[in-house]
Parts: sequence; C-alpha cells; structure tokens
Amino acid sequence: MSPILSVRDLTVMLKRPSGPVPVLERLSFDLDRGRTIALVGESGCGKSMTALAIMGLLPDGFVLESGAILLDGEDVAKAPPARLRALRGNAMSMIFQEPMTALNPVFTVGDQICEALRLHQGLGRRAAMERALAMLKAVQIPAAEQRLHAYPHALSGGMRQRVMIAMALACRPKLLIADEPTTALDVTVQAQVFDLLKDLQQEMETAILLITHDLGAVADITETVAVLYAGRCVEQGPTLEVMGAPRHPYTRGLWACSPHLTLGAAAAAAAPDPLQEIPGLVPPLGQRPASCAFAPRCARATAVCTHEVQPPLGVISPDHAVSCRHPEERAAA
Amino acid sequence: MTAIETHAPAAAPSAPPRTVASPGATALRLFLANPIGLAGLMILTALVIAALAGPQLYGVDALDIAGMPFQPPGEDPLLGTDYLGRDILAGLLQGGRASLAVGFTSALITVIIGVAFGSVAGFFGGAADTLLMKVTEFFQTLPTLLFAMVLVTLFGQHLTVTTIAIGIVSWPPTARLARAEFLRLRGLDFVKAARACGATPAYLILRVILPNAAPPIIVSATLAVGTAILFEGALSFLGLGDPNVMSWGLMLGQNRAYALDAWWTVLFPGGAIFLAVLGTSLVGDAFNDAINPRLRKR
Repeated sequence: MSPILSVRDLTVMLKRPSGPVPVLERLSFDLDRGRTIALVGESGCGKSMTALAIMGLLPDGFVLESGAILLDGEDVAKAPPARLRALRGNAMSMIFQEPMTALNPVFTVGDQICEALRLHQGLGRRAAMERALAMLKAVQIPAAEQRLHAYPHALSGGMRQRVMIAMALACRPKLLIADEPTTALDVTVQAQVFDLLKDLQQEMETAILLITHDLGAVADITETVAVLYAGRCVEQGPTLEVMGAPRHPYTRGLWACSPHLTLGAAAAAAAPDPLQEIPGLVPPLGQRPASCAFAPRCARATAVCTHEVQPPLGVISPDHAVSCRHPEERAAA
Repeated sequence: MTAIETHAPAAAPSAPPRTVASPGATALRLFLANPIGLAGLMILTALVIAALAGPQLYGVDALDIAGMPFQPPGEDPLLGTDYLGRDILAGLLQGGRASLAVGFTSALITVIIGVAFGSVAGFFGGAADTLLMKVTEFFQTLPTLLFAMVLVTLFGQHLTVTTIAIGIVSWPPTARLARAEFLRLRGLDFVKAARACGATPAYLILRVILPNAAPPIIVSATLAVGTAILFEGALSFLGLGDPNVMSWGLMLGQNRAYALDAWWTVLFPGGAIFLAVLGTSLVGDAFNDAINPRLRKR
C-alpha cells in the first residue's frame, strides 16, 4: 500500500536580504493510511514549519525550495493555489495549538463546523448542520444540540479543542495535522483529547501527523516518530524502537528531559532525581553549520563531528535510521 | 455518517449549557440599556418620522409662497416665513427628507468605498497595500469641502451629485480604519484556521474578517451620517445645494443675509441640523460602548 503522505527531501528556506537561510533540510518521511507519525524536538527545530509547508501555508518570506510532498500520490508542493484550497480542509486539515483563539468569536460553533462542509462538499445549510451535529457528538461534546448554537466564548478550552477537531475532521480528511493540539489544555483534558483523536482515527482511517512535546502521547498513539533538530531529521523509526533504544545523543537527551514517576517505597528510597536538561540552545536560523548542528551541545562529539558534514540518516535496523557518527550503543537504553 | 452517529452518546455528564446570546443581541441589549443612546435614537426616530410623514400631514409645499415674507413665528404659519414668504415649517419637514437622505446615503457610500479599499489593502498587504494607501492619501490631502465644491460645480447642482460628492470626499478615514482592523485581524489564529479549511481570499475577507472588523466601522458609519448632514448644509449654505430640492442647508444658505433681522429663518433649520447631528453622535457613541468588548460590563 502506498503511503497517504510521503514527504521527500523537503527543503524550506527563509529569504533574507543577506541570502536564503535553510529552515528545513532534506526532510523525508512516509505516513500510511490510518497511522500516526510524531514529530518531536525542541521549539525552533522546524516541526510547525513542516506542518505549514505540507498545508501550503508557509508564512511570508518562507519558500519551499525543493522536495516533494505527495498526498495520496499528488504533489501538493507543486499544486496551484486553487488546488491547494480545494485540498485544505477537505483532503488534509489541521488542528492548531490555541483553541482559545482559533475559533471565530462572532460565529456559532455550528456555523464554523459547517464552513468546511459547505466550501468543499457543497452541502446545503440543513445538511451541513446535521453533519456538524453528528461531528459534535462524535467528538463527545455533551448536550451537542445546544452547543451547536453556542458561541466560542461560552466553551471551555477542552470543549473548543474538541470543536476544532470536529471542524478538522468534518470532511473526513486523509491527513490530519495536529500541531501541539494539547499544549494549551490542562493535563486531564490532554489525555481525553489524545484518546479522542485515536478513536476517531480508527473510525475514519485518517493519517495523523502529530507535533507534540508530550512523549507519553507519542508512546501511546504513534507508530512512527521522527526527531527533528535544527531543521534536520536526526533520528527516525518505529516509536517503540526509537523510544526504547534511542541511538542519537539528542534523542536520548530529549527523552531524559521528561520526568519519570517513581512511586511508593522506590520513590522514598531513591535519591532525588533532578530533571535533566540538554545544555545550550538550538542554534538560531542562519547559524547552523553543515557539520552536525547538535555537536556543540553533545557530550559524545569529537573533532570529526564538528569538521565533517553531518552524515545522512543511516539505517541501523529495518526502518530505524539515525544521523550520527557516534550513535549510542543499543544497550545504552 | 452512520459510523459516527453510533459513536455518539456522550459519556461525560452533561451539564445544562448556558444559553448564550449572540454578540449582536448582547450589543443590542447594552445599547438599549444606555439612556444616552436611547435619547439619540428617539431624536433620530422623531426626525425621520417627521420627514417621512410630515409633508403629507402638513400639506403645504415648501417651495410655494405661503404669505408675506419675514412673518415672525407664533401665528399662521406657525414658524413664520422666509425672505420669499415660504413656510418655514413646511421647509423643515420637507427639507428633512433631503438632509437625512443625503446623510444616510453618503455615509453608506463612505463605508462601501472605505471598506473596499481598507479591507483589500489590509488583507493582502505588500504592493496592493502600498498602492491603495497612496490613493487614499491622495484623496486625504485634498481639502474636502473644496473638493466637494469642485465635484458639484463640475457635475451639476443635483441632490444625487451632492450625495455622491460627499461620499467620495469622506471615505479615506474609513479606509484607514478598516485597513487597521484587517491588519490586526488577518494574523489571528482563527483566520489561519479558516485558511487551513480552504477558504478563498474573498471568503476570508467578507465572511471571516469583516464580521469581526464591523464594530468600529459601524460606529464610524453612524458618526459619518452626522458629518454628511453637516456637509450638505455647508454646501447648500455656500449656494451649491440643489435649488429645486428644499433642504435644511439650503434654508440656512438662502436666509443667511437676513439672519440678524429675521432670526427664525435660520434658527429653526440650524436647530434641525443640530438635533440630527446630535442624535447620530449619541447613537454612535452608545453603539461604540455597546459593541466595544473592552468597555463591556457583563
């Protein structure tokens, strides 16, 4: 089965007066129908840029320099604006980070869910409203009939994010991009939203591109994970393998940054376990060397890391690839 | 959608949702709760009713000679006569039609041109913005009254010409206001979200951004009505009104030479203009308070 989404050598540049600056470099990944891939990495590594590039919504100044984005075989990177508009919200759609501001304050929830249905599927008002109601029920909003006529300001953050999901899935897209869908929500609601996404995915066979900092969610609902650092993919592979046995020092560092809960006697006995961090910052745009961009922050870096060009993703095991000259030993995990 | 509906029954306990009024209904409620706005609305309503129904009820043509010139008010006719012996009350009632029609129509023209320029400039930015704003600045640098006088002189002293001329000279501030609102709104998340839903630029401008940009534009339109009434008065006062259509400004202009000897010939039309402008200003301010969420007290 050919993948629903196939990103090939995607390179995005920021046009500056001093010359173009790479933002994403030769990014490649595949996503099958009904599957989920996670993009992880620190802020500023190009995760959201990848999402916007796929949607054809790059901000002013950013250009898709080269590469292909095949959505069900169609290269959206080369699609004209009208074709892109026809695809957006229909074949591919997106959930944003901030549910508090991503809904139009002057229209009811129902009107906004109807928007995509009427734009893309030519449904009449009544038919679109019925679908909107069904979608609100599908995202498990209580008292959906009344909520249909509610304005966004009357809903809580979690409710609004459910409405956003309903909007995004109304046309049964082949691809759903969720850009940190739970960052603005509180923890109990986060879990509900991820569960909901997983349930709806099973029903609709939508492929999900998940951008998140929540590693628990990555482990829980994704099959593949791609680790981005400074606009480059440094490690990619099946989620269980990458999370269980990370090979790139950055991936290991990232995993170590998330707290591990130890309960009961073990917690009392264990010495205080300070949350680890990766020293330093992501190099800003325009200051990314051709050599390994992570080398300055890497404990394993040697002269060869800073002098030679960053190696391409090298296959370690089937599907698992890493871009590092000194990958961690498999046993290290 | 059957697959979805089977999924439907919500597990979460359903709290009864608050019934929420639409933003429009909330604004209307706040507007009606404001005595100042109500007063303005009553003044305007009274003037509009008088202008619409008054001439038929009173039955005297404003352009007919009704008696001796300069008859003082109090007897017959009630508000006296002007320098030609025309009935002042008939002039007020009939002139109200022209003045109010000019006021509302030119305000509408102002808003249409202004929003068209401002929305396109603010939404697209870049070259379109630069070009449209240069045009706006060009119009803004022309002295409005002189420009309107030139237009009326060129195209004839008709009420239609006056109305369009006032609209043409008054739109730049509305355009700048609309542009500022569009600049602010176009970067907001819900606009991005609508874009991600596949909305076309026209849809984004008209259906997504404009309803959010409407409040300040509505307020400025209300205030533009008062300005336009004054403008028509000024043009007529200078002798550039339509001589065949009675208006408050025309009465002022034609009787201005006798203002010291026959005060009633200018006081009543002047007072009518004052009331109309006051009414629109009060309504505009109350609209502003009702619509502006920062001033809103729930």
